[in-house]
Amino acid sequence: MSEPIANGPQSAIPPAQHVVEIVGAGRTFGRGPGAVTALEGIDLTIQAGEFVSLIGPSGCGKSTLLRLIGDLIPATTGSIRVNGKPAAAARRGREYGIVFQAPVLMDWRTVERNVELPLEVMGYTREERQRRSAEMLSLVELADFRRTYPWQLSGGMQQRVAIARALAFDPKLLLMDEPFGALDEMTRERMNLELMGIWRRTGTTIVFVTHSIPEAVFLSSRVVVMSARPGRVIRIIDVDLPQPRTAETRELERYFELVTAVREALRQRGDEGGAGALDDAALRIRAEGYA
Amino acid sequence: MSAEALVERRRAAAERRLAAGRWGGRLRGAVPPLVVFIAVMVLWEFSLAALGVQQFLLPRPSVILAALIDQQANLSRAVVYTATEALGGLAIGCLLGVVAAFATARWLTAREALLPVAIAANSIPIIAFAPITNIWFGSENPVSRMAIVALMVFFPVMVNTVRGLTQVDPAALELMQACAASDWQILRKVRVPNALPYLFTALKVATTLSVIGAVVGEYFGGPRYALGIYITSEAYVFRYPNAWAAIVIACALGIGFYLVVLAVERVALPWHVSNRQASS
Repeated sequence: MSEPIANGPQSAIPPAQHVVEIVGAGRTFGRGPGAVTALEGIDLTIQAGEFVSLIGPSGCGKSTLLRLIGDLIPATTGSIRVNGKPAAAARRGREYGIVFQAPVLMDWRTVERNVELPLEVMGYTREERQRRSAEMLSLVELADFRRTYPWQLSGGMQQRVAIARALAFDPKLLLMDEPFGALDEMTRERMNLELMGIWRRTGTTIVFVTHSIPEAVFLSSRVVVMSARPGRVIRIIDVDLPQPRTAETRELERYFELVTAVREALRQRGDEGGAGALDDAALRIRAEGYA
Repeated sequence: MSAEALVERRRAAAERRLAAGRWGGRLRGAVPPLVVFIAVMVLWEFSLAALGVQQFLLPRPSVILAALIDQQANLSRAVVYTATEALGGLAIGCLLGVVAAFATARWLTAREALLPVAIAANSIPIIAFAPITNIWFGSENPVSRMAIVALMVFFPVMVNTVRGLTQVDPAALELMQACAASDWQILRKVRVPNALPYLFTALKVATTLSVIGAVVGEYFGGPRYALGIYITSEAYVFRYPNAWAAIVIACALGIGFYLVVLAVERVALPWHVSNRQASS
């Protein structure tokens, strides 16, 4: 996919191409004695084309961190830059696409028109919208379902529509919040393979929140391990598995070593985050009618 | 069979049902209630004499039917007049209800101030105001009943529409926020479509209320040829079958309004759960 807009604002960024640059970021919910520190002292830099997973126990603030990057929640401390701009400016400049755990498709729109929704918001012409939605739906292999309504699709297919929608305007960054968390294991593994294909073909930088260790290792170029309450980065593990990742990747000895490494990193500080930990979804006080 | 193939099959089946079954399925669905209706009518017709019920207490269906035919001219004039009142009130009440809903949904302070009042007002027996509107607009003036009907339908329409506009999936709002959508775009592309099923639910309630409001409003005064006046005056002179015939007409009017809303809903919201015919 060619992206002419990329030459505009993007060219101002130094050759290092930091897509995400987080310095000393923190987030506290509430005030006074009842305040909960969800995140504290987060430093993280993500380069163009990386696939970075955020993993940690419930309540470690990984979803909150994703929302800080997307400027859906403002940070209380520190600075977050996306494509060299403050996160708020990047959001207003529509520089990232997002996929949630639930597909969040509009029931009243066909698959095609769901993919077109952000394009409508951004004022693309009808022709351009149709061209892009067709392209995206073939990317996620749902071209035959463009006139279908979301409720006529399986969960995995709905999530593919959500991915197509997030990528429809060629964002440089894709934020994914446990996108396959609600899917069964087999569908999830297939979706992982498909996501790898999409990542290779589009070259999009991806930040991926998950609580599945195998998923994080399989997908990522780096795994960011977080601890709970307050959420901190405790280790960053480089995943040196060969590209492209395929079904065979899961059988490599190195894969198992890395899974073990992530698990041990989680265990170091994971003890406090076990039972009774506040789920970060609960911290955000969001209705959870889906999943 | 793979999950995809299964889903594809289910989808194709659902589409077939949507296309072919649009009328066939609906007619088949109408059979059981029709059977019950006929059975009740037959039972009513033949059990009254056996039970020794007096004609004036409850006339037989055949007698009511005869009165319907006999009183055709009076009844059609009455129903046109009363239907006009109901529709007029319905239009005014729904319009105001929707406008008020948009205003309250838009401004949080307005919502916090108005919604509790609206919910409380919703439980007031508005029909009790009929003598008052007669004083305001004159008992011969159809506006008296339209005002009652408008007041009756205003609250359910407003409260439901506000719900639809505000009870939106928070993730859908985050999604719109993520692509920097304006409030206006969020309203048009998320809140309004989300509110439509709620609005139709309110309209179904409102149509039924509108006929009740108009007919019962007329009990407190109105022109001699109005449906409510006709019912009370015929009952007053012991022409009970005529009164019954008018009640049947009032019922038919309410059901007719309801069916119109239902039909519009089917066409306007083919995507809504209530219109999905899939078996899943």
